[in-house]
Amino acid sequence: MVEIWDVALPIISLVTFAFLTIPVFKVIRRSQHKTALTLAWFSTVFIVSGAAVANLTAKYYSLPSPQPFLNITSTDTSSATLSSAFMIDAISIYMAVMFIAVSAVVLFYSIFYLGSKERPSERYFAIMLMLTAALMGTVFSGDLLTLFIFWEAAAAGSSFLMIYRKTPEALNSTLKYLVMIIIASAFIVFGLSLIYSLTGSLNFWAVREALMALGDNHLLLVAFIFIATGYSIEAAIVPFHFWLPDAYTAAPSSSSAFLSALIDQGSYYVLIRVLVFILTPPDVLNWTFMLAVLAALTMIVGNLFALIQDNVKRLIANICVADVGYNLVGITSVTALGLTGNLYFFLMGGITTALSFMAIGIINHYGFKTLEDFSGLGKKMPFASLALVIAGLSFAGVPPFGGFMAKYLVFTAAIQANLSWLAVIGVLTSVLQTAYLFRLVNYMYAKNPRDETKIKEPKRLLIPIFILAAAIIILGLYPQIVFNLIDPVVKQLQFIP
Amino acid sequence: MSYALLLIFLLPTLGIPFVYLTGKKSPKAAAILVALIAFANMALLFTTVPTVLNSPNHEYIESYYWIPILESEFTLFVDGVSVSIAIITTVLIIVAALFSINYMEGKSNLAVYYSLLTLLSIGLVGVFITSNLLLFYFCWELMLVPAYFIIGGWGYRDPYRAAFKFFIFTHAGAVFVLLGIGAIYMVTGVTDMFQAQAALMTVSPDLVRWILLSLTAGFAVKMAVVPVHMWLPDAHSEAPSPMSALLSGVIISAGAYAILRLSLATVFPAVMGTAFGSDFMHGLAIFGVISAFFGSLIALVETDIKRIIAYSSIAHMGYVLFGLSLFPSAPIAGTVVITAAITGTVLHLITHAVSKGLFFLSAGAIMHQTEVRDIREMGGLAGKMPFTATASATAALSIAGTPPFACFISEFLIFVGAFEVINTDGFFLLPTAFMLVATVISLAYSLRYLSHVFLGQAKSEGEKPILDVPNWMKLAMAILVILVIVLGIWPTFFIHLINTVQFI
Repeated sequence: MVEIWDVALPIISLVTFAFLTIPVFKVIRRSQHKTALTLAWFSTVFIVSGAAVANLTAKYYSLPSPQPFLNITSTDTSSATLSSAFMIDAISIYMAVMFIAVSAVVLFYSIFYLGSKERPSERYFAIMLMLTAALMGTVFSGDLLTLFIFWEAAAAGSSFLMIYRKTPEALNSTLKYLVMIIIASAFIVFGLSLIYSLTGSLNFWAVREALMALGDNHLLLVAFIFIATGYSIEAAIVPFHFWLPDAYTAAPSSSSAFLSALIDQGSYYVLIRVLVFILTPPDVLNWTFMLAVLAALTMIVGNLFALIQDNVKRLIANICVADVGYNLVGITSVTALGLTGNLYFFLMGGITTALSFMAIGIINHYGFKTLEDFSGLGKKMPFASLALVIAGLSFAGVPPFGGFMAKYLVFTAAIQANLSWLAVIGVLTSVLQTAYLFRLVNYMYAKNPRDETKIKEPKRLLIPIFILAAAIIILGLYPQIVFNLIDPVVKQLQFIP
Repeated sequence: MSYALLLIFLLPTLGIPFVYLTGKKSPKAAAILVALIAFANMALLFTTVPTVLNSPNHEYIESYYWIPILESEFTLFVDGVSVSIAIITTVLIIVAALFSINYMEGKSNLAVYYSLLTLLSIGLVGVFITSNLLLFYFCWELMLVPAYFIIGGWGYRDPYRAAFKFFIFTHAGAVFVLLGIGAIYMVTGVTDMFQAQAALMTVSPDLVRWILLSLTAGFAVKMAVVPVHMWLPDAHSEAPSPMSALLSGVIISAGAYAILRLSLATVFPAVMGTAFGSDFMHGLAIFGVISAFFGSLIALVETDIKRIIAYSSIAHMGYVLFGLSLFPSAPIAGTVVITAAITGTVLHLITHAVSKGLFFLSAGAIMHQTEVRDIREMGGLAGKMPFTATASATAALSIAGTPPFACFISEFLIFVGAFEVINTDGFFLLPTAFMLVATVISLAYSLRYLSHVFLGQAKSEGEKPILDVPNWMKLAMAILVILVIVLGIWPTFFIHLINTVQFI
C-alpha cells in the first residue's frame, strides 16, 4: 500500500536537505578538506532522496495491479475527490527516477564548475535541490492546482539559477523570462478557473470524467486555449520561444545544463499530463492538428535559428527549442509508440543538452565562445571536444547514440498517427541539424588553432560529462533498459478510456 | 560455435581500448592488433561456412534479445552472399591495417587512427551479417562517423572538406533509407527482412512503390551512382590510401549489397510482375549505363593518380547496378532462381573489392615513395619500383577485365546473364551493348595509367632517389595480388557459396 508519506518523503527529504545545506556549508568552509566534505554531503543527499524514490517505486509496483491515477490523499472523506494532493502512476515514477538521477550528475558537475570557493555557492546548490523537490512535487501532484503550484515554483525558481552571475545580460534575460512566466501563469490560472467552473473539481480523474460527460464544448475550448497557451510559453514552443535562447546563453553553463535537462523536460511532462491525459478525452476536443502545426514550426524555426548562430552556447540553446518540436511530434501522435518515444526523448534529449552545456561550460571557461574561437579545439581540448561531438551526433540522430532511437520512435509514431508530413519535416530538419552540427565539428577538427598554448582540461569536470556520454551510448545501443521502465506506462494507457 | 557472429561484434568493440593503449606505445603493434582482430573475425566467418553450405536453408542465424518493444531482435544472419562479402571485407581490413604500418609512419595521433579503424570495422562487417532492419541501419551509420574522422584527420589537401561532403551526402541518403525502414515497420509491424518480405506481399503496391524508391535512392547515394556520385571522387582521393581501399572496396559495395538484399530481395517481390516492376529494373539499367560511361570517360582524362581510380570506382558501380537490374523481374513457377547475372554481380563486388583495394594501395605506395600525384609528372617507375609496378599492373588489368585476373570472371558472368535476359526482355539489348563499349574504355584508362606511371622516360628526380616500398606495404599488396590471381583462376569457392542463395 502506498501511503502519503511514501510519496511525500522524496520531496520532504530534498527540501530538508536544501535548508540544511546552508549551515552545513558553514562548517565545511572551516575545515581542511572542502572538496571531500562537499562531495560527501551531496552524496548523502542523493543517496537518501534516491532511496526515498526507490522506496516509492518498489511500493508502487508491488501493488497487486498497478493502476493509473492512484490517488493518495490524507483524508478519506468525500472531499478527497475535490482536491487530492498526490497521485501516482507509472509516468510519475519514471519521471521521478529520471529527475533524481540526472540532477545528481548535474549537481556534481556544478560543485566543481562553480568551485566551493565562490561565496554564495551554497545557496546555488540549495536552490538546485529545492527545484528538484518542486519537480518531484510536479510529477506526483494529483490535481491541477497542486500541479500548478509545484510547477510554478520550479519554473519561477529556476530564475535564481539564471541570474547567478549577475551580469547585465543575465539580469536582462532573467527579467524577460520572469515576465513570460508571469504572463503564462495568468493564462493558466484563468484557464483553470474555467475548468473548475465547468467540472466542479480540479482532481485529474474527476476533471476527466466530467469532461467526458460534457455536452457543450465551447467553454472548454476557451479554457483549453488559455491553458495550452500558458504551458506553451513555459515549454518555449514557437512562437513563444524567444526567452529560451537568451536565458540559457546568459546563465552559467551548469545552470543551463540543469534547466535544459530538468526544467525543460518538466515542462513537457506538464504538457503531456494536462493535454493528453486530462483535457482531451477522445472526441471531446480535436487539438492534434493545431499542435502538429506548432511542432512543425518549432522544429523549423529552432533549427533555422541554430543555423545562423555564431555563439556556440546560443546554438545549443536553439537546439533546445528544436527539441521541443521533436517532443511535440511525439505528443501530437497520441499513440503508445508516441508516448514511449516521448518519455525516452525526455531522458535522451535532457542528457544530450546537459552534456553539451557541460562541455561548453569547460570550453567557455577558457574564453572560447564563437565558432571562430572553436577552431582547432579538437587538438587543444581533446576530451571536451569529444564530448561535444558525441552530443552533436546524438542531436543529429546518428545511431548508435541515444538521439537516434528517440527520433526514430517519435517519427514512426507520427507516421502511425497519419501525420506523415510531420515526420517528413522532422527528418528534413534533422538533416539540417546534421549540417550545422558538422560545421561545428569541422571548426573543431579541420581548422588550425590560433595559438599553440596547451590547455589542461580539469579532470574532475570531465567525470560527470563522460558519465552522461556513456549513458547516451549505452542507452542508445540498448534502449530496452529505459523501455522496461516505460513499458508499464504504455500498459496503463489502455486503462484510460 | 554458436556465438560466432556475436563475437564478430564483440571482438572489435572490446578491442578498441587495447588498440588505443597499444597505439600510444607503438603504432605498429596497434596495426598488427587491428589485423589480428580482423583475422579472428575472418576465422569466425569461416566457421559458419559449413552450415551455410550444408543446412537445408543454406543460412546461419543467431538471435538475441534486443528491443522487443519495436519487434526488433539482435538477429545476426549470414547466407552465401553475405558471408562471401563479409569475408572479403575482413581481408581488406587486414590489408589496410598492415599497409598503414609503413604508410602512416610518422603521422600524429596514430593510436586514435587505429582505434577509429577498429570501430569502422564493426560497421563494415556488421552491415553484411544482420537481417534486422534496425540493426542494419545502426551498422550502416556506424560506417559513417569513423570514416569521417579518418578521412578528415589523416587525409590530403583539404581533407575535412571532402569528409564533410562525404558525411552530408551519405547521411542524407541514409535518411531516405530510414524513412523506408520506418515505413516498412509501420505497414507490416516487423523489422526482420525475411518476415517483411512476406508481409509486404499483402500491402498495396502503391505504397510499396514509394518504399522501394526511397530505399533505393538512399542506397544509390552510398553506391555513388551518377548523379549522386559527387562525394566519391573527393572522399576517395583525399582519404589516406588504406582508407581509400576500404571506401572503394567495401563501403560502396555495401550500397550495392543493400540494394540487392533490401530493395530487390525484400521489397521488390511485392511489385514483381507489374509494369512498375519492369520499369524500375529498366531505370536501374539506365543509371548503371550512365554511371559506367561517365566514370570511365572521366577516368580517361583525369590526371590525378587517385582520382582516376576513384572515377573507375564509379564506373564499376555502374556495372554492378547494371548487373542488379538483371534481377528477375517476374517469378518463374513461383520462385526466383538466382541467375548468372546475380551471381556475377555479387562476385563482381568481391573481385572489384580486391582489385580496387590493390589499385588504391599501389597508388598510395607510389605517392608515398615519390610524393607526386599527377601522372604527367611520373614515368619510368617500373624500373625503380618493380614490386609496386607488378601490383599496379595486376590491379589495373583486373579492373580492365582482362583474363586471368579476378574481374574478368565476374564481368563475364554479368554479360552471360545479360544475354539470358535479352531473350525475354528486348529492352536490355541496347544497355548491354553500351556496357560492352564501356569495358573497352576501362581497358583504355587502365593502360593509359600504366603507361604514364611506369613506362616511358623517367622524369626529373627529386633530391632523394626513389626506392621500392617497405616490407609491410609489400606484404599487404602481395596478399591482394595473390587473391586477384587466385580469384581469377579459381572463383569456384565463392560462386559455390553465392549459388546457394535463393531469393524467394
